Amino acid sequence: MSGDERYDAVIVGAGVAGALIAKRLTLAGFRVLVLEAGPATAASYEGYSNHLERFYEASGKGPESAWPPAANAPQPDTADLRQNNGYFVQNGPDLYGSSYTRLQGGSTLHWLGVSLRMLPDDFKLRSRYGVGRDWPLSYDDIEPFYRKAEEEIGVSADVADQKYHGLTFADGYDYPMQRVPLSYSDRKLAAAVDGLQVALDEAPVALKVRSYPAARNSTPRGSYRPLGAVDMREDGKAVERFFGQRCAGNTSCTPICPIQAKYNAGKTLAQADRNKLQVFAQAVASKIDIDTVTGEVQSVTYQRYQGISRSVYRAKARVYVLAAHAVENAKLMLASGLTGPKEMVGKTLMDHPALYAWGLAPETIGAFRGPLSTAGIEELRAGAFRAKHAAFRFDIGNDGWRATTGAPDTAVADAVAKNLFGRKLRDQLSSTLSRQVRFSLAIEQLPEPGNCVSIDPRYLDPLGNPRPVISYKIGEYTLAGMAAATKVYRQIFQRAGIEDFSDKSGSGWFPSVQYGEVTYRYHGMGHFSGTHAMGGDSSSSVVDSYQRSWNHRNLYLAGSGSFPTMGTSNPTLTLSALAIRTAERLISELTA
Amino acid sequence: MRPMRERMDLFLGLSEVLTGFGRFQLLGTAMAGDYLRTLDVALPAGVLDELLAAYEQLPEEAAREAAVAAQILGEPKLGPVARNLILLWYCGTWTALPDNWRAAYGVSLLDITRVISSESYQAGLQWEAVGAHPAGSRQQGFGAWSLAPEGSSL
Repeated sequence: MSGDERYDAVIVGAGVAGALIAKRLTLAGFRVLVLEAGPATAASYEGYSNHLERFYEASGKGPESAWPPAANAPQPDTADLRQNNGYFVQNGPDLYGSSYTRLQGGSTLHWLGVSLRMLPDDFKLRSRYGVGRDWPLSYDDIEPFYRKAEEEIGVSADVADQKYHGLTFADGYDYPMQRVPLSYSDRKLAAAVDGLQVALDEAPVALKVRSYPAARNSTPRGSYRPLGAVDMREDGKAVERFFGQRCAGNTSCTPICPIQAKYNAGKTLAQADRNKLQVFAQAVASKIDIDTVTGEVQSVTYQRYQGISRSVYRAKARVYVLAAHAVENAKLMLASGLTGPKEMVGKTLMDHPALYAWGLAPETIGAFRGPLSTAGIEELRAGAFRAKHAAFRFDIGNDGWRATTGAPDTAVADAVAKNLFGRKLRDQLSSTLSRQVRFSLAIEQLPEPGNCVSIDPRYLDPLGNPRPVISYKIGEYTLAGMAAATKVYRQIFQRAGIEDFSDKSGSGWFPSVQYGEVTYRYHGMGHFSGTHAMGGDSSSSVVDSYQRSWNHRNLYLAGSGSFPTMGTSNPTLTLSALAIRTAERLISELTA
Repeated sequence: MRPMRERMDLFLGLSEVLTGFGRFQLLGTAMAGDYLRTLDVALPAGVLDELLAAYEQLPEEAAREAAVAAQILGEPKLGPVARNLILLWYCGTWTALPDNWRAAYGVSLLDITRVISSESYQAGLQWEAVGAHPAGSRQQGFGAWSLAPEGSSL
């Protein structure tokens, strides 16, 4: 072992949470070391372009196709679900359907960019509805940090669209950029279904096709300046490339935005003070070393790999932040023998299990154009029904059946197999593909102790670090939510004259769950959370509201692992708000 | 083998018939030369020239469509190759021929399922047929996704 350079903070993970904290700490004058398990191949403009080429040349164009795994920092891939033979050791009974990326920039390299705030009700699910648990924070506590996060990651939306279910905004506030224009298909759908009344078990609500906040560059408000592609050079200089300051409709947010008009954590890292920041890529944190008397962290042991060489180091700092991902944070804690109060580390793993619904609109809707989605249906994210079943939201796709059946390639292959050719082939593809509609129905999931990440010495990666062992079951609350969401999408399809193909074609390989007589095929949304949940006291949680470990007072665990419950928002905006709150706390602590 | 120019001419003629796109658009993909070479290396020697000869012998106009179905797509040796050629133009991919075809007519080492190149993916005619653009490429600019597509009513 070697290396004993002292930093103010060591941050494990160069994804969005780690980057936001690193930027703020370095700009406040503190010295920060970031340890990133994966390579930094997406940091330079040239490197990023290579990932784009990789996507073009990939046979399957799934979410991971642009981002191959590093052997020494392996990662899950949704394609592994077909055989259940990937990085995750899945104990079941249900398959956990999501993936993430271990790379400098993290999973923001292939996220969709949906940046919804959580609802005020989402922070007090237990006291309002008697299920799940309450957060130690209220919406009002986190609201100022939502504003900061929206500024940091660059969110486009109009407040006028977003005041629903009790969401409030500071006086005079609007998002840094105007909303991303709705797609033609959104407008078409809105014309058909806006105002449609649906009733779950109470008063009916009127549905609305609504623009959602997205971390994609749009027309700026006031003095806000959208940041496009960045180029982190080998010499440590970050250079702005003058494109990507507006979304240009590449229809490829996932797996890769070619022009970086969509936020990724590399942009935040590029804004840190480079004189105060050291980033080591291909540096896998393998153990948190604890002083057994005080319980404080003494150092983080990490392994660097390059070609066939391997070296082990220790990093020392005044404070330590794990920002490696909900699963990787838990894994690292457990590998260090740190199980948290009541052995809660790794427990209550959640996701948004999601169903696809797809069909053919009665006339062209201009499918396969624009950001992968630009609108959603948010009315069923809240309601008295939450005492009985999960809330949910619908994402309305702009990309046809790409995610559900592999269109357009599969549609071409099917037509050709039927010996269609020439003008008839071309006309049939034109008239069907441009009418393809896809919804994702993302369902809330409650924290259940049995759903967890654990480790097992039998399952190790090439560096000898544990692979995550996952136990997961989709409970009754979520299943009943799936049934309700299915009922609602069918009403929408019927009103809009959309012919339902959800059960007729494709996606037979998705994992399934049974509820009563019905089989639901589901997929993950990549919304890993709950593995080091925050709470009001050390008897019921791993971290406090600042994401500070109750048991190890110079250790912070950042990210969606800290969420006590998920609500129905995609987690990145909320975890960004929490990261900024943590960074501010750290600055005052390190200053004192 | 025929002179290169003549082969390319026949190849484009055949491709027009199979894809439903005109020669001007096919040439505009800038992929014709690559695709002709792809067939040459993915097929056992002589098969492509047989396919081109079958195209050359097609009757004119009225009887042509039925003849394509019978003499090319319905022909055991040429049918799978012609279908692959359609997929090549539409998707930019070569699809490995069926095992029974390979057993009957021979195997080429380069007969493997693959995206031919980054360019072939982006040149796929399927995107043109949809009225869209290849995902991740050929962006139309901010807000273009709001424009009414061809054949729309709004």
